[in-house]
Amino acid sequence: MRERLRVALKGSSRPRGNDSAFLLDPRSRAVPGRESMRRYRPDDAVDMLIVGAGAGGATLAQRLARSGWRVLVLEAGPFWDPDEDWVSDEAGSHHLYWTEERVIGGKDPVELGKNNSGRGVGGSMIHYAGFTPRFHPSDFDVRSRDGVAADWPIGYEDLKPHYERLERELPVAGELWPWGDPHGYPHAPHPVAGGALRAMAGARKLGIEMRVGPVGITNGSFGNRPHCIYRGFCLQGCKVGAKASPLVTHIPDALAHGVEVRADCMVTRVQSDESGRCTGVTYFHDGQERFQAAQAVTVAGYSIETPRLLLHSAGGRFPGGLGNQAGLLGRSIMVQGAPQVAGRFPEEMRMYKAPPPEISSEQFYETDPARGFLRGFSIQTVGPLPIGWAEHVLADGHWGQALREYMRDYNHWYAIGVLSELLPRAENRVTLAQETDRHGMPVARLDYTQCENDRANIAYAKRTLREILEAAGAQDILTIDRYAHLVGGCPMSHTPQTGVVDSDHKVWGVPNLFVCDGSVMPTQSAANPALTIMALASRLAQRLDDKRIDPGRGRGLLREDAAA
Amino acid sequence: MASPQTLATAEHLPKRGCDTTPGPPRQLPRQRAGTTPQMRGRYPDYDVLAAAAHWDAKTRRAVFERVACVPPIRFFDEQQERTLRVFCDVVMGQDSEPRIPVLEMVDTKLHAGRLDGFRHHDMPPDPQTWRQVAANLDRSARERGCTGGFADAGSEIQHEIVEGFSKGRLDWDLPVDKAWGVVMRGVLSAFYSHPWAWNEIGFGGPAYPRGYARLGAGQREHWESPPSFEVDPVGDVRERGLE
Ligand SMILES: Cc1cc2nc3c(=O)[nH]c(=O)nc-3n(C[C@H](O)[C@H](O)[C@H](O)COP(=O)(O)OP(=O)(O)OC[C@H]3O[C@@H](n4cnc5c(N)ncnc54)[C@H](O)[C@@H]3O)c2cc1C
Ligand code: SF4
Repeated sequence: MRERLRVALKGSSRPRGNDSAFLLDPRSRAVPGRESMRRYRPDDAVDMLIVGAGAGGATLAQRLARSGWRVLVLEAGPFWDPDEDWVSDEAGSHHLYWTEERVIGGKDPVELGKNNSGRGVGGSMIHYAGFTPRFHPSDFDVRSRDGVAADWPIGYEDLKPHYERLERELPVAGELWPWGDPHGYPHAPHPVAGGALRAMAGARKLGIEMRVGPVGITNGSFGNRPHCIYRGFCLQGCKVGAKASPLVTHIPDALAHGVEVRADCMVTRVQSDESGRCTGVTYFHDGQERFQAAQAVTVAGYSIETPRLLLHSAGGRFPGGLGNQAGLLGRSIMVQGAPQVAGRFPEEMRMYKAPPPEISSEQFYETDPARGFLRGFSIQTVGPLPIGWAEHVLADGHWGQALREYMRDYNHWYAIGVLSELLPRAENRVTLAQETDRHGMPVARLDYTQCENDRANIAYAKRTLREILEAAGAQDILTIDRYAHLVGGCPMSHTPQTGVVDSDHKVWGVPNLFVCDGSVMPTQSAANPALTIMALASRLAQRLDDKRIDPGRGRGLLREDAAA
Repeated sequence: MASPQTLATAEHLPKRGCDTTPGPPRQLPRQRAGTTPQMRGRYPDYDVLAAAAHWDAKTRRAVFERVACVPPIRFFDEQQERTLRVFCDVVMGQDSEPRIPVLEMVDTKLHAGRLDGFRHHDMPPDPQTWRQVAANLDRSARERGCTGGFADAGSEIQHEIVEGFSKGRLDWDLPVDKAWGVVMRGVLSAFYSHPWAWNEIGFGGPAYPRGYARLGAGQREHWESPPSFEVDPVGDVRERGLE
């Protein structure tokens, strides 16, 4: 009955325990409450210091603050004002990405930069596309099922209530979802553009079902967040405020509940004492090194910066870095194979319209022995803008007049892509490189090499994309190979010998240090990670607040202890 | 190249067998509204800048600056500039004025020290890669008998060298395929960030706060323009005495 009522009201219902959308200012996109935000002194040991205001960090901050924790977030990038800082333009959005130097290697190097992590309050979700699927129940025990990769120390049921809660907070729009654990969405599916309808029709001819969504984009107004205007610039930051990112979904409520978000602060070390507890962090602000004390620290800096920071915090009892006793810190970094295939159609498709994330299919998500490889992939849409489209054409081998000709044909094309689940491998890892950044901190090096199963998965997925477009009537096809969605590096595990954090995100061997971002994932899945990262943060906050996590000896982690 | 019939069948496309030898594409009409690189394009009556009043002020400033401010070359030396200017023209097929100032845009970025966020472990930093590519282009030209370097080589040799570069087939002092990736990333993001290129390809441009309402196949907003080949480009050019 309650569910029916909620569906009848669609998006108009207010999510429980999060007023962000209602705290926003309808006349301006800047987050209200920044000036009056609470501030902590450097020697004031806050209950929880969080490094990084992205998907994991911001969600955790909002939840803990709601339960009365004194929370400080240090964020390397700026506190965005979308009206002032963002443009409706591809090249002009470069400052949203983490563009400081990183080194890449391995046999299949992963290009970073704009196709990777973000920098600033809201993290990578500022420029993520907006797909917000759940993981499938099978994602949590891949090793038991298929004998490869790893099992998570938690299961789908642990995250399910948090998925449901977050889907109302973002809010997520989409059709009834038949795959994994079947479920519905609080907002109705968005209208889709001509190209997506053609791709759906092509897929249907092959017996492949595609559905609209799921996207974290308002369909109808939601609090003071307006309706999507279908302008297609989701990967450049949503100036409208329709697309969900922590900046609009969790930061406003966090500020209203006493969180300080200290922007432009690059953390370079998590400090620990002789007893093995961490005491706070060292960070740079305006070129000056500072210290902030804390009762407990959570690192939520993305799968590259998190291992980098923990490796760089080596010293005292932790010569190899914090959480590296088993030598696994920074290992098992995963990406998804994300080739895109574009088809040419007689009519104009103008794929720059509508949000890039439109439709998807999870029909190939699970292991099917007949396909000749383990695990699977999902199919999605991508909607490249001109620079992205030029890179696509170039990757297919065209330059000069041929490139210009394909570019002039832009409006007749439509692109679809896949996310192939690639398996975790210990040699795919983040290490510290020789060179240092402007703070004197060694930059991260990411080595990546695929295994045979990965190659077979990507090849099969690419063939499927091509078949869909051909069935849809495409007259010409262009293909680009790429990666997406980097996770792992601090895997969650049952035992200290097999991972970096336990099932409560607590770093093995350090009683008051947590990791809460995509790096804790032991497997990648074939779904986009952001919703699951937020769900993990939401669960961690609940565990902490229910006092189900032992804070270790010495100074207390819990609020009451801190006050005493 | 394209004609009204081929546009529906896609036979004007390179992979479908169209002629992509150097030189201006035949039968493309001249631009009537606004500017396109080389003043040709598929949307002769479309000028994305005409919609600028509907953009937000920040975006408008960023886009107009690209058109109005062409900064001097500060990062590359004279010889590098000569070589790379020709290289940029060849890889983008810019064979006459007006040209999008690709090299100036690349130079500005390198001069300002703006990075892309990653570097292959066996590659020098991007700025250094650009300089080495210039030197190697000259060397490859000299190996083919052009003492003056790449800029003075004939168009056939230039194309042969660029083709080798694009396929990673040259013997240079850095990984050729990765160097191609670095320079082309810079070239493409300069060229296709320029509103003249948007006119050429019929891209709607910035769309905030107006947005889009007509998303269906073959549908257009009232300010978007049909592709030219609903007009016969050959007849059109002749009729208006443009050639
Ligand atoms: C182009 C693109 C499209 C994407 N599309 C989707 C999609 O459709 N759906 C989806 O689910 N996911 C998508 N993603 C991925 C998704 O955005 C990320 O996986 C997710 O945001 C990662 O969350 P996180 O908490 O791990 O890190 P982030 O959200 O990246 O947050 C980390 C934050 O920590 C800060 N930080 C890092 N180091 C430090 C330090 N030392 N000191 C202080 N601060 C620090 C960073 O500046 C950053 O703000 C996309 C990503 C990209 C690049
Ligand atoms: S398409 Fe919608 S969600 Fe995407 S940037 Fe535009 S308004 Fe925001």
